[in-house]
Amino acid sequence: MSVSQLEDGTIVLEGVCPIEDAEPLLRLLSSGPGAVVDWRECDGAHTAIVQLLMASGARLQGPPRGRFLDRFVGPALRGSQT
Amino acid sequence: MNEFIEQFLIEARELVEQGTDDLLALETRPDDRERLDSAFRAFHTLKGAAGIIDFAAMARALHAAEDVLSAVRNAAEPVTPALIGDGLSALDQVLQWLDAIEATGEPPMDADTAADAIVARFAGMPAAPVEAETVQPATQAWLDALLTAFPDAGDRATVALVYRPAADSFFRQRDPLALVEGVPGLLGLRLTPSEAWPDLDLFDPFTCQLTVTALSTAPRSEVEQALQPVLDQIELVDLSPGLPGGPPVHQALLEAQILMLGVADADGLSGRMASAARVCANLLRNLDRAAEIVPVELALARSLDAGNAAPLTAAIRALIDQPVAPSEASPALPVPTPLETARSLRIDVERIDALVRLTGELTVIKNAIGHLAGQTEDGADAKVLAARLKDQHGLLDRLVGEFHHAVLSIRVLPLRHVFQRFPRLVRELGLSLGKPVELIVEGDETQADKAIVEGLFEPLLHVVRNAVDHGLEDAGTRAASGKPPTGQIRLRAERRGEHVVIEVEDDGGGVDVARVRQVAEARGVATAQTLAALSEAGVIDLIFAPGFSTAAQVTDVSGRGVGMDAVRAAVERMGGRATIVNRPGLGAAVRFTLPFSVMMSRVMTVEAAGQAFGVPLEAVIETVRIPRDSILPVGAAQAFVLRGRTIPLLDLANTLGTRESARHTDDAIVVVAQVAGQRVGLEVDRLGGRMDVMLKPMEGLLAGMRGVAGTTLLGDGRVLIVLDLQELLE
Repeated sequence: MSVSQLEDGTIVLEGVCPIEDAEPLLRLLSSGPGAVVDWRECDGAHTAIVQLLMASGARLQGPPRGRFLDRFVGPALRGSQT
Repeated sequence: MNEFIEQFLIEARELVEQGTDDLLALETRPDDRERLDSAFRAFHTLKGAAGIIDFAAMARALHAAEDVLSAVRNAAEPVTPALIGDGLSALDQVLQWLDAIEATGEPPMDADTAADAIVARFAGMPAAPVEAETVQPATQAWLDALLTAFPDAGDRATVALVYRPAADSFFRQRDPLALVEGVPGLLGLRLTPSEAWPDLDLFDPFTCQLTVTALSTAPRSEVEQALQPVLDQIELVDLSPGLPGGPPVHQALLEAQILMLGVADADGLSGRMASAARVCANLLRNLDRAAEIVPVELALARSLDAGNAAPLTAAIRALIDQPVAPSEASPALPVPTPLETARSLRIDVERIDALVRLTGELTVIKNAIGHLAGQTEDGADAKVLAARLKDQHGLLDRLVGEFHHAVLSIRVLPLRHVFQRFPRLVRELGLSLGKPVELIVEGDETQADKAIVEGLFEPLLHVVRNAVDHGLEDAGTRAASGKPPTGQIRLRAERRGEHVVIEVEDDGGGVDVARVRQVAEARGVATAQTLAALSEAGVIDLIFAPGFSTAAQVTDVSGRGVGMDAVRAAVERMGGRATIVNRPGLGAAVRFTLPFSVMMSRVMTVEAAGQAFGVPLEAVIETVRIPRDSILPVGAAQAFVLRGRTIPLLDLANTLGTRESARHTDDAIVVVAQVAGQRVGLEVDRLGGRMDVMLKPMEGLLAGMRGVAGTTLLGDGRVLIVLDLQELLE
């Protein structure tokens, strides 16, 4: 499992998040508004995960460790929020 | 498949290997004349071979490559990394064709397109006929948004794409972003919802609701290739680099320089060369491609030295052909095909001769035994006969041993067969991860059984990839610890007695034990309590535990999720062990210890429930007698203490499901074995001797039987069942 939640409510993505992580992530994201997602330890994420991050408008704590996430996905998510 | 094709495949593969070796060597030493000649010969001979089997597309592609190499030999063209890259991709393509031929027995029908692409590359033209697609107003919206989002990239991009994944993409096992990640030369990415996002409460996480737009600097054909599986959901628009109106002007300017340099007039040549180089430099600066000025200036220096415009011309030509340096390319990692199982072997004539000689000697013994049988009928003295029979048995014993050895040695291959694939892979790994890496191969002539050589590629690939990716530090860290900027990976093989030891060693920072603890705990591989009790070596060993490596770390390399646990499993399947040797600060080595031969096993025979069983000797640690009253019940199971260590005890007869045998002995006879890192005691009725056996795998109805590695016949005609302890105890 690469999705977890810290005591302060921050959702942590770690390693490579496969599609199986989408459901638990959605549960965590919908449990409260203004979710914060820490993806600094994240190496990669399935499109389903990225799509969730985008749809929820969660605040991202980065930069993510994965190159593709950092260089392309991160900027794309930031771009979509403005 | 006819013999002709078989022969062609063997030779062609050898030539591809030779060509690859030569090209890689040329990359480090562009002036190596011998390598250049050898590479040329390899391409030339391959072309000839393709002609012989009437494979026109392959011959055509290789002809284009050969032409360029020929130009290099005549010093008309320099050896450039681009040329090496083109040559290597041509050989890659040839390998794919060879695989196709091997699978079907015939040259593939659709080879022409790929051949065209190769010919185009070498001709210095953009690959694949570009259908100039006029940008339709309808497609403008996403394109405008994309170009606005990346104002800088717009100048350099050659292709813009929009990918509207089908809503059920996820169910079809597709990961759209992973596909886009594989697009070479990616410059920028935009994500937009296909429709307005629904409320999170109504959100279906398994429906793809994203649209992806992206810009790339790669040729259209390469982008198409990367997105091949979903091309029907993709729209591509050709952009001219340097929009608007840029490229024709720039290209024309560059072409003009080449023309000017081509004028056959020695007067003022140096002035013309300097001027051409200056124009190029200005142009590049103007295009924001200042990094590419250096090669032009180097080429100018060489041209001025030689009084010959060829190097500079080639450099300018390269600028025209390669619109943008691939430095920004996303890590599109090589996806190697698994090592083809060699169905035909090349065998040293000496080895065949040895077999012929042994067959002769066996015939002599057969005749001698026939003679003895005749004497028996004639009523010869039994004692004399027995002595002679014993003599013959001794001889036969020696000969069978030699025969066995000779047959096994036919199955033996040098590890070069698997090692030689790595220089190429490491080069590409290094490029894609942005780490300079040098691969040092040692002992590639070391021999091992064919099954081992063939089974090694995947686990080794994974380990090498890990070493480059996680083992080697980044340039900054290396500099800080006084290491040279280029990381070293050593791939080493060595024969040690009945074992072959293979190591992948990096000169990186070594395993970060604290981090391993952290990860192991976070991923639930071990509890904090267990971790606290583990020694450092024990913690490092957790890297091999299932669940430690995240699957997708390697998906881009091997195409499926395998972690280090799969590496260990693969090595253990071959009867070997995988371990890590850590030298903090200096690097780490992953070591495979494999049996030299997989066909021969040494076993210890034991008896349980009246049946003889073989236990692989490499698993046996010792045999002990345990008084019955020292056997302790642990729940439903049993255990005993041996030198302060508690070891679980299993009754072999019970474990195998045979009838429980009555115990009359006061002491239990126990074989202590090491299975998957754990010690376990097996109670047996009687211990036998050691023997070498040639295992016959179970066939037919018994093939699926668990816990049995195979069978062999004992001298008295009984069947010896050799156990696979690991499977048995699972």
